[in-house]
Amino acid sequence: MSVIWAIIRKDFQMEFRTKESITAMWIFSLLIFVIFNFTFEISRLLLLQISGGLLWVAFIFSGMLGLNRSFQVEKENGNLRGLSLTPADPGLIYFGKFLSTTFFMLIFEALIFPLFIIFYDIQLSLVTLWIIPISILGTLGFTSLGTILSAVAIHTKQQQILLSLLLWPLITPIIIWAVKTTGDVLSGELSAAFQPVMVRMLVFDVIFTTISYLLFEYVVQE
Amino acid sequence: MSQPVIVAENLRKEFGRVVALRGVSFQVEAGAFFTIFGRNGAGKSTLLSIISGMASATDGNIRVFGEDPAERTHRHKLSVISHESFLYDNLTALENLSFYGKLYQVADLNDRMHDVLHQVGLHHRRFDLVRTFSRGMVQRLTIARAILHNPDLFLLDEPFTGLDQHATEMLIGLMEALKSQGKTILLTTHDLQIGLRLSSRFMILERQRVVETGSVEGLTEEMLRRKYFSLISSGEAGQ
Ligand SMILES: Nc1ncnc2c1ncn2[C@@H]1O[C@H](COP(=O)(O)OP(=O)(O)OP(=O)(O)O)[C@@H](O)[C@H]1O
Ligand SMILES: [Mg+2]
Repeated sequence: MSVIWAIIRKDFQMEFRTKESITAMWIFSLLIFVIFNFTFEISRLLLLQISGGLLWVAFIFSGMLGLNRSFQVEKENGNLRGLSLTPADPGLIYFGKFLSTTFFMLIFEALIFPLFIIFYDIQLSLVTLWIIPISILGTLGFTSLGTILSAVAIHTKQQQILLSLLLWPLITPIIIWAVKTTGDVLSGELSAAFQPVMVRMLVFDVIFTTISYLLFEYVVQE
Repeated sequence: MSQPVIVAENLRKEFGRVVALRGVSFQVEAGAFFTIFGRNGAGKSTLLSIISGMASATDGNIRVFGEDPAERTHRHKLSVISHESFLYDNLTALENLSFYGKLYQVADLNDRMHDVLHQVGLHHRRFDLVRTFSRGMVQRLTIARAILHNPDLFLLDEPFTGLDQHATEMLIGLMEALKSQGKTILLTTHDLQIGLRLSSRFMILERQRVVETGSVEGLTEEMLRRKYFSLISSGEAGQ
């Protein structure tokens, strides 16, 4: 436990100091919202239909920025190697990085969501609260895979390209589910498929977190 | 007699078609200062990463403290210093030590951190970000990080790279202190003079093989130099 906590604490210390990731993520999301709000003349109905996708584009692309940053600092001075030379269990190191990127993304999502509501004039209701579990499940799916693939990518030269090549196909299902359920929530009415899709997301998270946890040890070996 | 700290038998390492070690065997006794000389590409770093458990050998047998280093059971007894600092640029010196101290579960971490910072002469800069440090100061903090958990075995891969005369002397002094505390030290270097001055035993790697091993007793720098250059073939590096 103390290993996980030490890593999370360290990552947040560095981020609060530099604010590199949060600034980049914030600007990026703002740009997406602005472009889609003012560039395209779209009907209110269409906007509601695509807004779920729009929100997740902002979440995932800024998540990519955060993830890249989070592993850039582990690469700069061979830090990931330094971590794996300690007696700390590689699985716990994985959880530390996984949770620190997850918390970070969730905090960011919580900041960006109100902005999104205002930009697109979304009607709020009790149903809107479902966005919280959806964000958590979707984000966990993204970061569980993103964390282990970033560690894989550290050993290769074309880090970012490899990361996207591996990551995108794998996270496609959970992104589709997240967009779908978010669409339901934003329209104010949950469809019949809502619950089963939520369960699928949960299963996806559990499976990929477990696999990544078990595989992390082999990833950090050279 | 006590069990040797490192026993390597016929280690072979291949990276695809490149062979980094071709059957390397040697032993390091507890408390020895063992230096590995060799040119660029001789296989020194590869050998050290197998000993540290970071890489696995393609073939052969390696035992560190009587166990396979990949098993991670003796990580707390081991420390590595290489050209990589393992430090975080956007943390202060103290925060870096505190982070690694927690991962190594160092007892009385607070006292220990101040202790090692004094030892490397960085205590007055403890609240400064590593980003603002000079190359030599980074290396000093790297050393502080390496001794923080009081390990028994040091793997030092060309630790003098980038140090000025003053920092080099400090590091040599520290190594001598570690040696007198009975720590086992494995050093790789191109610098015959420093290697000879510090070590009790040495080994020369050439073309990924051991071509010489022995005690430094009675050996002068001139003799070592002659031996070294007669054993390594001139010309291109490595293969
Ligand atoms: N990760 C790797 N992938 C492919 N080949 C490698 C890798 N690491 C080392 N090698 C090869 O193995 C051989 C030995 O390399 P090693 O780094 O162990 O040499 P060295 O003695 O440490 O050299 P130097 O003095 O330059 O540090 C070289 O031919 C090198 O190209
Ligand atoms: Mg080397």
